[in-house]
Amino acid sequence: MVKVTVDPLTRIEGHLRVSAEVDSNGVITSAQSSGMLFRGFERMLQNKDPRDAALHVARICGVCPISHSMTATNALDDLYQVAESVPQNALAVRNFIQAANIVASHATHIYILFGPDLANPRYRDVLTGSALNLGATGQAVWNELLGRFAPLSYKIDGQPVPVGSGYLNAIPEKKRLQEAIALFGGKMPHQAITVPGGVTCTPDLGDIAKSAAIYLKVMEFVQNYTLGVPLDTWIANTSQAQSPAAAVKFVTDHLAGLINKSSGNDFSRENGWKDVELFAAFGSELVGEKLLGLPASLRLDKLGGYSDAKNMCFLSYGAFYDSTKDGYNPASPTGERFLTSGVVRASNLKFEDLDTAKIMESTQCAFYEDDTPSRHPYDGTTVPVSDVNKINLDAGPTDKYSWLKAPRYDGIAAEVGPLARLIVAQDPLIIGLAQAFAGAGMSPANVYTRMLARMHETAIIAHKIVDYLNDIDPARAFAEPLDMRAAKDNKGMGIWEAPRGALGHWISADSSGKTKNYQAIVPSTWNFSPRDEKGIASPLEQALVGNAISGVDNIGGANYANPVAILHVGRSYDPCIACAVHTIDATGKNAPRDYELF
Amino acid sequence: MASEKLNMIEQFKNLDILKVDRRTFLKAVAALGATSFVSLYGNQLTEALAAFQETKVLWLHGAECTGCSESALNGSNPEFADALKELNVSLVYHETLLAQQGIFVDGKLAGTSDLNGEILLEELVKEGGYILVVEGSIGNGPQGSGKINMIGTHTFKSIYEKCAKQASAIIALGTCATYGGITVTNSDVKEYCDFMGVNQTETNKGGMNAVLGINKPVINLPGCPAHPDWFFLTVAAVLLGKIDLANMDGLLDGDGRLKVFYPPNNTLHDNCPRRGFYDRGVLDERFAEGGCLWKVGCKAPYVHSDCALRKWNNGTSLCMQAGGPCIACVEPVFPNGSMPYYVERESAGVLFGVNIGTVAALAIGAAVVAAGVHAVRRVNKEK
Repeated sequence: MVKVTVDPLTRIEGHLRVSAEVDSNGVITSAQSSGMLFRGFERMLQNKDPRDAALHVARICGVCPISHSMTATNALDDLYQVAESVPQNALAVRNFIQAANIVASHATHIYILFGPDLANPRYRDVLTGSALNLGATGQAVWNELLGRFAPLSYKIDGQPVPVGSGYLNAIPEKKRLQEAIALFGGKMPHQAITVPGGVTCTPDLGDIAKSAAIYLKVMEFVQNYTLGVPLDTWIANTSQAQSPAAAVKFVTDHLAGLINKSSGNDFSRENGWKDVELFAAFGSELVGEKLLGLPASLRLDKLGGYSDAKNMCFLSYGAFYDSTKDGYNPASPTGERFLTSGVVRASNLKFEDLDTAKIMESTQCAFYEDDTPSRHPYDGTTVPVSDVNKINLDAGPTDKYSWLKAPRYDGIAAEVGPLARLIVAQDPLIIGLAQAFAGAGMSPANVYTRMLARMHETAIIAHKIVDYLNDIDPARAFAEPLDMRAAKDNKGMGIWEAPRGALGHWISADSSGKTKNYQAIVPSTWNFSPRDEKGIASPLEQALVGNAISGVDNIGGANYANPVAILHVGRSYDPCIACAVHTIDATGKNAPRDYELF
Repeated sequence: MASEKLNMIEQFKNLDILKVDRRTFLKAVAALGATSFVSLYGNQLTEALAAFQETKVLWLHGAECTGCSESALNGSNPEFADALKELNVSLVYHETLLAQQGIFVDGKLAGTSDLNGEILLEELVKEGGYILVVEGSIGNGPQGSGKINMIGTHTFKSIYEKCAKQASAIIALGTCATYGGITVTNSDVKEYCDFMGVNQTETNKGGMNAVLGINKPVINLPGCPAHPDWFFLTVAAVLLGKIDLANMDGLLDGDGRLKVFYPPNNTLHDNCPRRGFYDRGVLDERFAEGGCLWKVGCKAPYVHSDCALRKWNNGTSLCMQAGGPCIACVEPVFPNGSMPYYVERESAGVLFGVNIGTVAALAIGAAVVAAGVHAVRRVNKEK
């Protein structure tokens, strides 16, 4: 047994440590993930003006700050009892900046954080080496991967590699989207406009027209680099397809068409192989090798799956209000939001309504003093370990080994993120793929489906974003005034979706209207938590078990010094660890500040 | 008109942007527009740098949110990748962008620096001579152990120490790295975590450098996040020798910030796009009304930054333009001195630790006399 540890897992947000036990066949038998920074965010909000939360929590994460402010704002809308009267304009602006932030965040992940692993020398060895003998085809695919996804300052065998075209060209597009957000939000990261009751900005037609122009510019990039099918065509035939089977058939027919015209091993973008097509065909053994008859693939569908389906579900809180009318329901009932809330169990892939009472957090294996069984976030009570020696990097799976708490839904682990969101939303393409993998005896969730879902969701949201711009009417109000007294002895729940998945904030106020307790459960806490008191592992910990450490079935032998399975699986969830580690609850030691709220 | 502008460009082209007085700087910016001003200097720098040798930038992430990295990627004139290329800067280490990662097999470092970031970092520190960029604060807790933040089997505190000792200069980027920022928000875990800035805390000089006994040239570029121009122009000025690292006294203010970006004699309020509403006494008491934000908590009259001239995201907007009150994110006292964010300053009783009765009367008095507004009503009542 060999222990392979990746620390820090770079190209993520924050500091994550992943360690794995690997057997003599190079297969992972057990894994642990640890968040290694604690900032104590929620504690900072106690005894403060509740309204401060929306700007303050944005600073939990500079990559998805909008999601945090939005979730806090939802909790505050609930606390101040104004959710039902938030003007349509405010909902539309919130939707727009959130949509643009998700598209920018997904693009960052696909091109800058995950993409570079497709240029890992492991794939040079597999595609151009003697083990598979793929000849010109293997070389051509490798050239595409390296030429598109090589990161900054990259070297292979000590030789510098030029930065990839996709990598380089994605940066200005991400920047452009941030400008569109800043038109409404003032600046990015850390916009200034989300307040309970609405938004602070009053955009005019010029701002709306400018953001539309930026959108069109970004879409030019998408059509030139990312997706080889017009966006409308893609959406009509995938997420709006008649059936899951029809959606999958549309994609596989499209890929088969490309293969037919590539007999000369021309897999270039100019020949129609945009980044989504290249990944969709060559990323998966089932789709690429078995369905399409390609000679090889990266077999990412054999990494990051779940072998114990009964302890796993997919969770979404729902995102994007109905911005054609005033007001919304903070409890996010099934079907109200564009991407609905809900839960789907991995064991049967059946939809259930979300029940937030089933959310509990365990601190058994986290660096907190409190070992009591799981608690609902409204009642969270934990204190960081007082003994410094308990922060121990060598701690085993039954010890304390992470700053992340362990949230569970109905007692089992939950994957959150684009894949979970689209499974819950019953998106035909993603459901069709999930059924195809389940039918082949494979896990519906794996590195391939997780990444493809992220690409597909980028298209879905990029397609929807225009509606939100249209919903803004500069002549109408953007905010509803607050009655500050409404917060007295009240509670508020904000549930929403960050790019990386389900994000929930829970706030309660005291009799003076100040924040009594604040709790946040963020996507990466769901995905990367340590074990809970029953020993159930988190999605990442479960997803590593059974993986070939070097990927591609360890063809050519396992190489512990290049553990691509850990790199791919870890990054496939798009970790955001600064988000995930923040939790600590009230002990009431802070003296209230000397000012009056009302 | 065009020839007039060209003359202006000729006139200002040779300015040393870091040494001109505020008035000249403002004239230059007004004449050229902030964006072309920046790009003008960008071109000038490019030519001058053509013969420059490669400069290494080693970028560390402590207790942070990656917002300052995100912001740097938003750089417009120059853009991020162009800036690196044109300034001949090699970004040798940056956790969010790095090809490598830390890899240990049975507890021992494995492979080479092609894939293993921990080995790469060792090699870089051994070579030394890089500009060290620090994003995020540095944790000293609990109990001085630094274990609040661990990366690749080390405390971040020890990683910072190792990297700082071999650096030629340090840029503390963002308010967390400069003064502690959001990570030192008052709470009862503040002492436990004990986060601090590179060279300063929210109240004292020294910061982590004092704890570790490190004495290196430090430039503070606060902001939540820091503006990409502030960063790239500073790097450019250092490379060009416009900033003499051995003697930065005249360039930095009392909080270690570059005066050219954080003017000590002007406030953000002076150039606010909503300033006219303040002068006319149109003071909003609710959000999304379009007027001055003073009464809903704006801190701009106490904030030293050029946000209002430079604007954010390629000159698109800024907080107040979008109706968001300034929360003083570039100031050492952020956020403890600026919370509650949405409460009018004098009603909070304390302003940045100074009694409002004196400060507000001084700072606001003159404008209020002219405008006849009621902003100081409560100040007067308190007196």
